[in-house]
Amino acid sequence: MTVIKEFTKGFIKENPVFVMALGLCPTLAVTTSVINAIGMGLAATFVLVFSNTIISMIKNFIPEKIRIPAFIVVIASFVTIVDMVMHAYLPAIHKSLGLFIPLIVVNCIILGRAEAFASKNNVFRSILDGFGMGLGFTLALIIIGGIREILGTGQFLGFQIFPETFQPMLVAILAPGAFIVMGLLMGLMNLNKKR
Amino acid sequence: MKYYLKLGFVLLIITSVASGILAYINTKTQPIIDENQRMEQEKARREVLPLAVTFKEVSGELTYFIGHDKDEKVIGYTFIASLFGYSSEVKTMVGVNTGFDIENIKIISQAETPGLGANCEKLDFQKQFSGKQRSDMIVDKDGGTIISLTGATITSRTITNSIKTALHKIKLETEAEGAVK
Repeated sequence: MTVIKEFTKGFIKENPVFVMALGLCPTLAVTTSVINAIGMGLAATFVLVFSNTIISMIKNFIPEKIRIPAFIVVIASFVTIVDMVMHAYLPAIHKSLGLFIPLIVVNCIILGRAEAFASKNNVFRSILDGFGMGLGFTLALIIIGGIREILGTGQFLGFQIFPETFQPMLVAILAPGAFIVMGLLMGLMNLNKKR
Repeated sequence: MKYYLKLGFVLLIITSVASGILAYINTKTQPIIDENQRMEQEKARREVLPLAVTFKEVSGELTYFIGHDKDEKVIGYTFIASLFGYSSEVKTMVGVNTGFDIENIKIISQAETPGLGANCEKLDFQKQFSGKQRSDMIVDKDGGTIISLTGATITSRTITNSIKTALHKIKLETEAEGAVK
């Protein structure tokens, strides 16, 4: 596989959310607005890139038997760093993402990529993979978040895009809306693949 | 045996490096986080009791601040009322005058349902508390005058009840404070 493909495969072909169906809990929970989606996506991308880097660097040093606890320690450290830095410098986004930042630790995309990719490939490829997967995840979150925010509140990124008379579809912003939007998007992706 | 010692040793190295890095970053970010929080509360205090020039902290069962005007006269109190709402702890900064009429309130932290309970941060909702007293702290669903948010009666009731309880505590505490003096 060429280097470029390593990077771009996460966008559509192996999109973590729509194709691999990984990390669905944060996907469903934080996509109530585009800004939350961007914040969550970038935080996860950061953790993914650095955990992939470190894990691929130390993969020969870690005995097979304890690789999972070792991976978790690396991932948890980066998540805590993101949590503290965001809390200090981006308090507004930290406030709305709140609970979901610590949950990146158990986001299966990150452990999944560590186990399936970074522990078997060199550092350079692992970084590309982390970036690609992270951005693919972010893209998926933004699409779902965009649809839900527009339908549910008539706004996009906090700007009113429909006239005031527009009656928002509240269901889109509530939990069932997340399932419906994601289901439809997954279906579209599969339809596209079948052709 | 040797193999298992090695496993433990490798984990030890990984965890000590990780905790070292985390400790370092924590010492860098913690003061900023505390400062942010302090500034945010200070700003909220000024919003709910705009006439006050200086604030004095009084800690007790419920910590409150006495607001003084420029002649050092007590003009009111601010405190944080907090209660668990529909999906999160809702914290409200409340400012009252010396007669315990509410001056202003400001929701300082909540994570209620976006589009429903989260609307409690809108000014229209918060404004209606101004000028009200403890006995007015009843939502319309329960026969009161506080107009609750559409589809978020629980959040509205939480805010109203938390203010009601906190007001009562503050009243007792300030009276006890006055008696000591």
